[in-house]
Amino acid sequence: MPENIMLSVALILSVAGMGWFALALDTHWKQVCGKQPRGQASSRVLRGLGGAALSLSLILCLKVDHPTMAALVWIMALAGAALIVAFTLSWRPHWLALLAARPPRR
Amino acid sequence: MFQNFRLAMAWVHTWFGLFLGFVLMVVFFFGSLSVFDREIDRWAIPESRFEPQPMPSYDEILKPVFEDMQPSKESVDQMRPRVDGPMPEHFDTPVRWGAYTTHRDPVLGLFAGYRVPNAKNPDELVWGTRTIDPRTGDALPDDQLKIGSRFFYPLHYSLNLHWMDLGYWIVGLAALIMLVALVTGVVMHRKLFRELFTFRPNKSKQRSILDLHNLTGVVALPFHFMFAFTGLVIFAGIYFPVTHTQLEPLHDLHEVVESQETGLPHESAGVPAPTASVDAMVAEAQRRWAARDMAGDVGFLALQHVGDANGYVSIYRAGTDRIALTGEGIHFKASTGEVLREDPPPSAVERIDEFLTGLHLQHFRHWLLRWLYVLGGLAGCACIATGFLFFVEKRKRQHAKRGQIGARVVDAMAVTTVTGMLIATLGMLIANRLLPTNLPARGDWEQYCFWGIWVLAMAHAFWRTAPVARARLAPAWGEQCWAIAVLAVAAVLLNWVTTGDHLLKTLSVGYWPVAGVDLFMLVGAVVAILAARRLKRRARPQPAASGELSGETAHA
Repeated sequence: MPENIMLSVALILSVAGMGWFALALDTHWKQVCGKQPRGQASSRVLRGLGGAALSLSLILCLKVDHPTMAALVWIMALAGAALIVAFTLSWRPHWLALLAARPPRR
Repeated sequence: MFQNFRLAMAWVHTWFGLFLGFVLMVVFFFGSLSVFDREIDRWAIPESRFEPQPMPSYDEILKPVFEDMQPSKESVDQMRPRVDGPMPEHFDTPVRWGAYTTHRDPVLGLFAGYRVPNAKNPDELVWGTRTIDPRTGDALPDDQLKIGSRFFYPLHYSLNLHWMDLGYWIVGLAALIMLVALVTGVVMHRKLFRELFTFRPNKSKQRSILDLHNLTGVVALPFHFMFAFTGLVIFAGIYFPVTHTQLEPLHDLHEVVESQETGLPHESAGVPAPTASVDAMVAEAQRRWAARDMAGDVGFLALQHVGDANGYVSIYRAGTDRIALTGEGIHFKASTGEVLREDPPPSAVERIDEFLTGLHLQHFRHWLLRWLYVLGGLAGCACIATGFLFFVEKRKRQHAKRGQIGARVVDAMAVTTVTGMLIATLGMLIANRLLPTNLPARGDWEQYCFWGIWVLAMAHAFWRTAPVARARLAPAWGEQCWAIAVLAVAAVLLNWVTTGDHLLKTLSVGYWPVAGVDLFMLVGAVVAILAARRLKRRARPQPAASGELSGETAHA
């Protein structure tokens, strides 16, 4: 895979990972999916998904750059991803329903 | 004094954060711009708008330029009181020549240090600098200020306040307080993880401002912490100046011992000797780096004891492939070209130091990481700005009732350091495009414009924050947002008119340094307009603030 693509995927994964972490919190789940119960998507599963996505993102960063550089790219990507998730939650929360695989709250 | 630890921390955070926040705002904003300092230079100096160049041939290009150089008038004038007798007209004993470039520099910066006859301290040199087009060796006019790397960048670490090095000390103190503010902020913030993604723009004004303050502070916490800390590490030599105070004799002795160990002569021999081909030395250095599987562009080339039998040539690589600020220097005997020394691999401590300084100074080639740094820096600006706004929002009603002016003064200072700073920056870029090209000391005029416009913005801020004293929103914010939008668009248009480089052209040929600066200003204009319109909506009377504030906001 070319480096640009790997880094782009790493960025997308960090946004998704942060999104899953946010959905694992009750307040944000309600913002996105309303009163729908989490069902199987318990907060533990969501946290697991989040952790997996962020780890995969780190692995991709490590494949592209020297470890010292990859670590910085990853940490900064997490910061950017957290900002994106926070602003999406306050502006268009239903977009994150995509990550929950649920119909958005009406 | 305080009921509990958390309240004590809140006090420290509020008051230290407020007073040094104004400095930190400047440090964060111009630090963010410094990530692209070389690109801003291209925008400001149209003659230098070409592709980055490698270090040119010393034998063909650099040698005649170095031989033509002389120390600057300022350097000679500064030296004058420290010399017995008159200064010579012409300096003909160069001691040190150097050339420095990065993977983002089309032009090459050169410096030369000269021995001064009858100097009270014979080791003290006078210095000259020159910037050349490395393709031809032609000099760029001295008057042109590299606004990015010579004004915005030093503003970031010294506030361009050089009297008694005061700027360094103020910035250092601000960095220390930044670390304190981060720690106290984390102590005050009770729901660090539970509210990591929380921003509620529709709640009360205080609540939403505090949300944004927490959000921008916490998500970029590793960035804020590392940059404040590494900034202090980089200038540790200034903040603990022991090498030139208590330990000066030890420092001088160490230099001599070190030169015995490394085999690089500390003193000149006083015997003239010709210099062998430096290009051959560069080729040998690159061969050795390649053998170690390292990127081999030369970043820094220096000659010590020029034209002397003890002369040597040091060649360092531009460490574009690592965070660590490495050089892997290789040193050659100038007269013969034989290798005197190859820098040994760094020790663990040196490695950590190189990583920490490299992390901050970013000589690496990684555009994504550069942009992420800008994001981190701007998040820091947002964090500080919302801190000011929260301070004002929390107190303005109370102050209005009691007839105090504290909230108004803080709001005016916040306008000055947030929007006023942007206006001054854009004003400087506009001055750069409008001042006549043949104006003597043009670079100085650009700086006067920057400071002058900032003072005007400050005057406007103090004038138009009067309603804060009546617990209302200051019109200064919205008005300065419009000023930013107008100035940003004007700067982009002036760049087009004066150089012909409009966005369609720079984008179609992919000349990102100029296209990027233009686009960044246009995006800034859009954000400023959105903010101004939002402020207008907010300025309309609305129901009084709710009593739903949590305990956390109450004592912040």
